[in-house]
Amino acid sequence: MRARLATGGLDFVLSVCVAILALLVALIFVVAAGVSFTSGADAFVSGAFGSQLNLAGTLAKMVPLTLVALGWIVVFKAGRFHVGFPGQILVGGMFVTVVALKIHLPAGLHLPLVLVAGMAGGALYAGIAAWLWAKRGVNEILSTLLLNLIAAQLLAWWVRGPLHDHTSPLPLTPAFPNSARWPELLKNTDLHWDIVLVPIAAILISFLLARTLAGFRMRLVGSGEMIAREAGVSPERIGVRAIMLSGALAGLAGASLVAAGTTPQVGEDFGGTYGFTGIAVALLARNNALAAVPAALLFAALEQGGQTMEGTVGISSSLVDFIQGLMIVLVLAATTVLYLVRRRTTKPRAPKATAPPTPRAELEPSK
Amino acid sequence: MTGGAERQSGSPEALRLVGITKRFPGVLANDDVSLDVRKGEVLGLLGENGAGKTTLMNVVYGLYKPDGGQIFVNGREVEIKSPEDALDLGIGMVHQHFKLVPDMTVAENIAMAPSLLPGLIRLKKVEREVAELCEKFGLNVDPRSTVSDLTVGARQRVEIVKLLYRGADLLILDEPTAALTPPEWHELGIFIRDLADQGRSVIFITHKLDELFGLVDRCTVLRDARVVDTVNIAAVDKPELAKMMVGREVTLRVQRPIVQAGKPVLEVSGLTVADDEGRTLIDDIGFEVRAGEVFGVAGVAGNGQTELVEALIGLRQPETGEIRLDGKALKKLSPLTFTNAGGALVPEDRHREGVALELNVLDNLLMKEFARGRYAKRGVIDFDAARERSETLVRNYDVKTPGVDVPVRQLSGGNQQKLVLARELGRDPRLVIAFQPTRGLDVGAIEFVYNELNDKKKAGGAILLVSFELDEIFTMADRFAVMVDGRFLRVLDGGEADLETVGMLMGGSEADAGVAASGRTVTT
Repeated sequence: MRARLATGGLDFVLSVCVAILALLVALIFVVAAGVSFTSGADAFVSGAFGSQLNLAGTLAKMVPLTLVALGWIVVFKAGRFHVGFPGQILVGGMFVTVVALKIHLPAGLHLPLVLVAGMAGGALYAGIAAWLWAKRGVNEILSTLLLNLIAAQLLAWWVRGPLHDHTSPLPLTPAFPNSARWPELLKNTDLHWDIVLVPIAAILISFLLARTLAGFRMRLVGSGEMIAREAGVSPERIGVRAIMLSGALAGLAGASLVAAGTTPQVGEDFGGTYGFTGIAVALLARNNALAAVPAALLFAALEQGGQTMEGTVGISSSLVDFIQGLMIVLVLAATTVLYLVRRRTTKPRAPKATAPPTPRAELEPSK
Repeated sequence: MTGGAERQSGSPEALRLVGITKRFPGVLANDDVSLDVRKGEVLGLLGENGAGKTTLMNVVYGLYKPDGGQIFVNGREVEIKSPEDALDLGIGMVHQHFKLVPDMTVAENIAMAPSLLPGLIRLKKVEREVAELCEKFGLNVDPRSTVSDLTVGARQRVEIVKLLYRGADLLILDEPTAALTPPEWHELGIFIRDLADQGRSVIFITHKLDELFGLVDRCTVLRDARVVDTVNIAAVDKPELAKMMVGREVTLRVQRPIVQAGKPVLEVSGLTVADDEGRTLIDDIGFEVRAGEVFGVAGVAGNGQTELVEALIGLRQPETGEIRLDGKALKKLSPLTFTNAGGALVPEDRHREGVALELNVLDNLLMKEFARGRYAKRGVIDFDAARERSETLVRNYDVKTPGVDVPVRQLSGGNQQKLVLARELGRDPRLVIAFQPTRGLDVGAIEFVYNELNDKKKAGGAILLVSFELDEIFTMADRFAVMVDGRFLRVLDGGEADLETVGMLMGGSEADAGVAASGRTVTT
């Protein structure tokens, strides 16, 4: 146990070093754009953590990132993969807009109902893909990818048609009542009380996977369908549950983006890129639910630091997007390489290996 | 098929290893290993699982870099950094797990070998040359057939042809018989001798003693990473070799305890199973297994054994038929109801069905308990009770593991199988279905499995043993059926069955006799 903890700690330190290295590489491009290295680095760090406003922005971005990452971890442990988080965020958010605008309740009841609606929306939308997979054998990666496109179109219609604010020429919903919004944690910042979801969800999911029968069934199915079947656990039933739970988490992220956003109303772009970046968070966290929290902090800082850099040192927003993408790629590539190197050097039963260790075999999801 | 050590003694050496040492973190896999192979010789490399056989050959094949020692090929010292280097030196290796692209044809698989690229692949030319090569060596392989359509035996031949095509004259075969039926194994034996007669060399890796006699000329025995000795096969007998391999006296034959069989525990009648397209896989099978009895199902792989076991444990819904356990008819059978009714399964494929490699020992030991909601309170696992139970099982079944938190991947094959037995027998089941329970195990572990099953039998359990190994059926079964094409041809008494009869039955008819039986048994 102690050895495992030590390895985990070392993994974490390495991940942080890799992230810093990736940041330095990204800064080379900033320098190439004509900004001095020190002012670029300074702009980034102070952009992410420098002021109360920026720190609040970073922390606020952790919420959807962590929730999506946990959603990925849940399906991954159950041996399934889907990339439907963007769509589930949007549909969860659409459910939230209905509850927030059409139902009038006191604050103590309205917000919980908003959260339930978000989770239900995400779970039901994921349920479509889950059902197609379990009953019709439709690959869930493909179906969720396409459902993402449908969700984006639905939302575009949503904010122009049924839930359009008629006083505005823009495709926006009306402003939500305060009873349906997360209260601010820091006045006049993006940081709302939904930040408490980060530790709560991470601990709950971690507990679910490690200590409960439901989590065991997921891990069993994830480690092999045949063996699960023979033990009396249905891979289909568990797979559907896992996909829907992951959709619920994405829907909850959508609820945060709607009910804890910068503005009290939303347009068609409230989902941002969290649905995909959250997957990167989970991969950086090596699919460990608790490690998803610091990993989400890192990616949130990237996002926030990049955004403020645009204003402070005047590099173009496309360069910021490019740098963020580059850092995601670098962090993932470097941690994956590190992980493979470690697996190879510490293979405890190496002489028993019947096949030579090939990188490909190790990259494949554990069966 | 007689060995000819004398004949080769004057031949020049093809390969010589001197003092090969290979370390992995915490494990010494090869310790100062030396051996040599001469041209035209078949060398056996014998050792238990984990003795370092495969590691040694991976060093020769350039997959591992040795920490010490020298390699001489044709008398010249060489450094082998990759399989490409090895092939350039004429060394080819067939791994336990084949490395073929299933969707490609035989010729395409052979043509895409890295050293033949780049440049245009002239497939017709390759097809012709492969056909010629097969002709020359008497290998039955059609270069135009798709690999996924081929049997395991044929795929193995493709692997061998691939190496011969690339000019290998020293072939390393890593446990080549593991997946073969007796007739295929018989053919392979003939082919190996042919190769040697044409002046090529073969290193034959195995942990099965029976396979060596009549096939190899000399045999190098590895134990705990070291060479015990290299012997002329004509000068030793089986018990001697076994003792060298295991390091102690081994009783190779487990005594079959005679137990007065009691009431029927498993009763099957009129069982018929069809696949999705309506083809009959199991045709009207009926039998019973009584308390205190081992009932065997013999036969060549692929005659419906897998489907029979799947139907019995509820993984496959039969068309018709009744299954009764302890007198109670099992309707709507599922793996869970099978477990709850007192059934246990030691599955065929340990890695896919027996253990979950990524999960730890505790999870693996208790998976069936967890699956039916035991060792938990309101959905939360009771880890104190679970830990205590799993540690007891580990002790009782002598599973060698650093702890119950360790992933099962880190356990040796023998210990993984002990874990499976601990899980299944530790539940104290009424019926045990053991499907190829000793596949891939070494002598010591086989003995353990047999003794556990026999203990279960003495304690009044009913055991259904499905095996492709006739030796296993003869050793263990009180009565057994021979399964051919989804039917039971005959039920024989374990004590009085003879190899000849069973071999003929396994071949499918009394007329086209002993092919099936001869492969495995001619040499013993």
